[in-house]
Parts: sequence; C-alpha cells; structure tokens
Amino acid sequence: MLDLTQPQFVKHAIFHPFEGFEDLRWKKAGKLSYTFIIIFTLFVAQIAYDRWCGFQFRPLPDAMFSVMPYIMQSVVYFLAWVIGNWSVCTLLDGEGTMKNIAIYSSYALIPYIVCQFVDVFLSHILVQDEFIFFTVLQYVGLIWTGMLLFSAIKAVHQYTFTKTVVAIVLTLIAMLIILFLAVLLLSLFQNVYVFVYSIYTEILYRVRV
Amino acid sequence: MKKHLLRQITAAGITAVMAASALTTTAFADEPYDVYNYNYLGEAVPSQAGYLAERAVSGLDLGTTALKSPSDLYKDADDNFYIVDSGNNRILKVNSAFDEILLIMDTFIMPDGSTTTLKNPKGVYVSPDTGLIYIADNENSRALVVDANLKVQMEITKPTSTVYDQALTFLPQKILCDNAGNVYIVLNNTTKGAAMFDCDGEFIGYYGANAVAATAEVIANHFWNAIASEEEKKYRARSTPTAFDNFDIDVRKGFIYTSTSSGSTDTDIVKKVNPEGHNLFSYMSNFVWGDLFSTWYSGTSYKTKIVDIDIGDDGSINCLDSTTGRVFQYDEEASLLFIMGTIGEQVGAFSAGGVAAVETMGENCESVLVLDATKGTVTIFNQTVFGNIVHDATAKYNGGYYEEALEPWLEVLKRDGNYRRAYLGIASAYFNMGRYEDAMEYAKKADASGRYNRAFERWRSEFLKDNLTIILIALIVLIVAWQVIKRILKKRRAAALATATTELIPKAPEEE
Repeated sequence: MLDLTQPQFVKHAIFHPFEGFEDLRWKKAGKLSYTFIIIFTLFVAQIAYDRWCGFQFRPLPDAMFSVMPYIMQSVVYFLAWVIGNWSVCTLLDGEGTMKNIAIYSSYALIPYIVCQFVDVFLSHILVQDEFIFFTVLQYVGLIWTGMLLFSAIKAVHQYTFTKTVVAIVLTLIAMLIILFLAVLLLSLFQNVYVFVYSIYTEILYRVRV
Repeated sequence: MKKHLLRQITAAGITAVMAASALTTTAFADEPYDVYNYNYLGEAVPSQAGYLAERAVSGLDLGTTALKSPSDLYKDADDNFYIVDSGNNRILKVNSAFDEILLIMDTFIMPDGSTTTLKNPKGVYVSPDTGLIYIADNENSRALVVDANLKVQMEITKPTSTVYDQALTFLPQKILCDNAGNVYIVLNNTTKGAAMFDCDGEFIGYYGANAVAATAEVIANHFWNAIASEEEKKYRARSTPTAFDNFDIDVRKGFIYTSTSSGSTDTDIVKKVNPEGHNLFSYMSNFVWGDLFSTWYSGTSYKTKIVDIDIGDDGSINCLDSTTGRVFQYDEEASLLFIMGTIGEQVGAFSAGGVAAVETMGENCESVLVLDATKGTVTIFNQTVFGNIVHDATAKYNGGYYEEALEPWLEVLKRDGNYRRAYLGIASAYFNMGRYEDAMEYAKKADASGRYNRAFERWRSEFLKDNLTIILIALIVLIVAWQVIKRILKKRRAAALATATTELIPKAPEEE
C-alpha cells in the first residue's frame, strides 16, 4: 500500500489532514529539498500578494516596497518555528527530528501559498464589491494550513491531541523568545561593528596626522 | 604665424560659445522660495508656480504716509480695496489696480451731526447688497456701520443682554455681515464664537464656536468631573475650545469660513459654518490645513498658524500662514491648489509673523494680495499661465463638467507631471466618456484605487458583454478536451496494467 512518488506524497499529505502525515512518517517519505522550494514559494507568494494584485485591491503604494519584511515573514518565521518546535518537543519526548519537523511543517504551508496565488489571480477579475470571495479564500487557506500544521506536529512527534496543543503554544512562546534574542544579538553586533569602525576611523585620522 | 591663427580661432570659438550661452540663459522672475505641492503620500514635491509676486505696494507708493501696523484688507463687490491702517486710525479705500487712493476714511458723521474718529480699528467689511461699510473699531469698544458718505448708520456697542457676560470687555477684532443683514463680530475674549447681532444691532447670541478637541486630557477631565463633587468641580480645570480669530463669508452661498491661529489645537483650524452654526468641514477631522508637518528647529516647533482666510470669487479657500509667510490656496473641495510666499525681504516674502490679511481678486482668482503688518505693504501675486489653466480645470471639474475639464487637465500635465489632481481629473473625464481603459490607466497613475475600481468594473462588464460567446465556447472546448484527455489516459493506464498483469510481474498500481 501507499507506494507513492514524492510529489504524490505531498498531495496525499495535503488532502488527508488526519492521517496524511502519519502515512508520511510510516513510509519515511518527504524530502528536504521540497522544503526549500516551498519556503521560497511562500516568500514569492507574500510579495505577489502585495505587489501583483489587481490595482483595485492594492493596499501598498509602490514607493513603500521593501523586501526585508517579506524575508522576515517567510524564511525567518519558518526557521524560528522549526527551531522553536524542535527545542520544545525534544524536552517533551517528541520523536521528530529537526529535518522532519521542517519537512512536515513546510508541506502544511502549501494550501496557504496556493490560496495566496489564487487570490492574486482573482484580484484581477473581481471588483471591490466582491471582496468577500477574496477574503473567504484567504481564510480557507489559513484554516486549512492551520489544521495541517497541527496534524503535522501531532504526527511527527507522535503526540496526543492535548499534548500537541500544549506543544504548539509552547512553540509560539519559544518563537517569541528566539526572535527577541535574535533582535538583541543583531543590535549587539551592530554596536560592535560601529565600535570597530569608529576605532578604525580614529586610527586612520591619527596615522594621517 | 600658425600659432597666431590657432589662437585667433580659439578666441573666436570662446566668444561664440559665450554669446550662445548668453542667448540661451533666459531671464525669468524666480520666486524667492521653493514652489511645492503634496503628493498622495503627503510628501512635498516640487511643483510649478501658480502665482508670481508682482510688486509690493506701501503707503508711500499710494501717495500717503506709510501704513502703521495695518491689520485688515478687504475687497468689495466693485473690486475696490479697503486697508485698515490701525496705527494711523484710518481706513484707506484703494482702486482695483492698487495704485490710487480713492478715499481716506478717518472721520465719520454721527446721526446727531457730531463727528467721530476711529481708535485702532481692526477689521472692515463692505456689504455687497447695501454697500454699507462695517468697521470693527477696536479700542472704542464699538462697531460702526457707515454708508458711502461716511454717515454712521448704526453703532454697535457692548450688549446689555445677560447672555453677554458683563465682566467681559467688548473689543471687536473682525467683522462681517451675512446676506440677511446679521452682523458677526469676532471678539478676543470669548471661546463661545462670534458675537451675532441682528440688522438693528440687537445682540442675538454667539455663532459657530470651535469644538473641544477630544484629547486624552479632555477625556480624563470629563471622567474626573463626572465623579467630582460640586465643590471640587469649582477648582478643576475646564475643557474649553480655542477661539477662532478670523473669518470670511462666501457671499454667493452664504457660508461663513472661520480660521483659528491657536497652536494648541489641531481641530477646527478651518471651519465652513452654515447659517445654523454647524461646521460642514467636521467630517474632515484628520485634514491638516497648511503644511502637513511642523518643522523642528533649535528646539522650536514651527507649525502652520492660519491668521486669515479668504474665500475667492470662484469659491477657493485661501489661508494665510503667519509662521512661514505662505498662502495656501485650496479649491472649494479643500484640495490644495497652490502654495506661495515665504519669510524674507524680497518681493513675495514677508516679515516673520507679520502677515495680517489675505484677499483675492477676479472671477478665477487672478490675483492674491497679502497684507504684511510689519512691513506695512500689500504684496500682489498674479496668476501664471499654469495657475490659470489649473483654476480653469478645477472650476470645470468641481462643477461636474468632467469632459470639458479634460483639455485643461491634459495641458496641466504637460506643464507639471507631478500634479496629481490632473490625473484624477483625466481619469474622471475618460470614465464619463466611456474610455474605461484610459480611465484605469490614469487612476493607476494617481494611485486612486477607488476610481480605478469603478472604471475596472465598467470595463469588465463591457468586456464580458462583447466576448461572452467566445468565452463560453472556450470554456466548453476546454471541458470537453479535458474529459477526452482523461479518458485516453485511463485507457492507456488500463492497457499498461493489463500487459503488466499478463506478464505476471508484480507492479505497484499507479493510483491508490
């Protein structure tokens, strides 16, 4: 049973929210290379959503575009999620490896990404009065991804329902801590850089004089 | 010899270049300030000048003594100007070309035959219907209503009514009269609004007070007052609105526009008050009049301080900012048209905090006049060609003649591609003409998603109407093709499976 190719496994996991990831685990399926592709697509989808929507839906003025928030919203959040979940669930007797957490979580993101892209397409057909179709699709994507993410965590660590809820809440807290520390570290490095640079300038002046 | 020739050629070349550059350098009157307008993000962008400062007229230029801290300028229905020369206790009537004094008003004849003079007059108004001159005679604590022969028709003094707090003084600052003959007087000691008198000079009440800005402090005060005892309430600070200190009337429509120069508030800076006393601009509570951002320099905040307001004959709202010496001209829908003036010494620049009054002239606002109290001059700005086109387009656009406004808006864009309202106007014109695709393009350029949406909706329905058959046929063809392909694939798969089973090689099924 279930002798599927890798792309078929992806499809299987998405359309079987309850046992899809269990099957994935059982068959030891899932590829890390897919994760990279999916996260990159997420990054593209986020930008597409803000940039390629029909003009009647565009909330963001051209002049205010910056790529940093999109990297933040895709790559950094995902990394924080994977690391946070791994750190929490290692302590909570989870069976998942970091690789598996990354793979399963990324598979769970696919409905959201697809709905983003479909939204971008729809925004070129709809007018503002029909905004509700746009929003509904967005919520469908979000809820679907939420469910998949839950079942992914449940499957990868072999948890019960309650334990998964606890693990996810703790993961969110861990993510906050990780991001906070990252910001702290960044500003520290910035200070160090400024310090080194000012010493360099100082020396430069002295040498010249 | 050869060297000599070379030198001659070089010299000739240099002379030619110099002559050419002298020819290409066109002399033009540059304003002593940067001309700008705001884009939809609220950023200041360079713009074309709508007005150029023509000349500054002093009292000496008019053939009389210098003006001494003049405080008001008014234009009557016949385009004659009235300058309130407060320091000299007189009012000058000047012709529309602003080069000749028609009348110097300093002595008036009372009904009983005696004469009276002014003492530090602050405001003047001339009724377009009756031709009566209304004068706010500040230090005499009265307002005079005078006819063209300088005979006093009416004298308004401090009201005896109990509504008027008798402890207060009565020092009229500005004065005007509406179409019904009611007289409105701005006083400097009340926040209740302008004192309103009927045509017989009887005090009726107050008119058009500013609202209290709902700041956190005011809300907190309200809360504490609700639970405080009567005794405590006496000593608590009260939330009072700021008082407006200048106004003008739109004679055609009867609305009174007030301006507030107080720096402590952001609400009700400019109000459009209907005869009932309601502010019709109250829906624009987030609208910033004047410069959008105040500047910080050496610990001082320089914020727009609108000291006078004038409604032009075309309905334009002209606000005079004494902080920066700028006139902000808005159309009747309160969208910014032009900004002119600065602080400085040149013509077109004013003394810091010295400007007192602004006045416009012409059907299309051809001139803007600014009275500088410190310099004692009146500066006349005249409309440029660009300004004329913009006013023309604006008048047509605001009147609803979108298609007629298309031509001038296109002309505006030729002269200033940053002028956002031109894109909006063109989008509206094309929309009305049924050219939805062009309307979408211009709405996009103006970053107006609502306008784009409307044009897109029409474009979509037209597109569907025109191409419905093609779309339906394409859909049917697609569905049929999909079904056919699906069937062929299934057959092939079944055939492959059959061969596989006949060969008795265990092979996994393709589908679950």
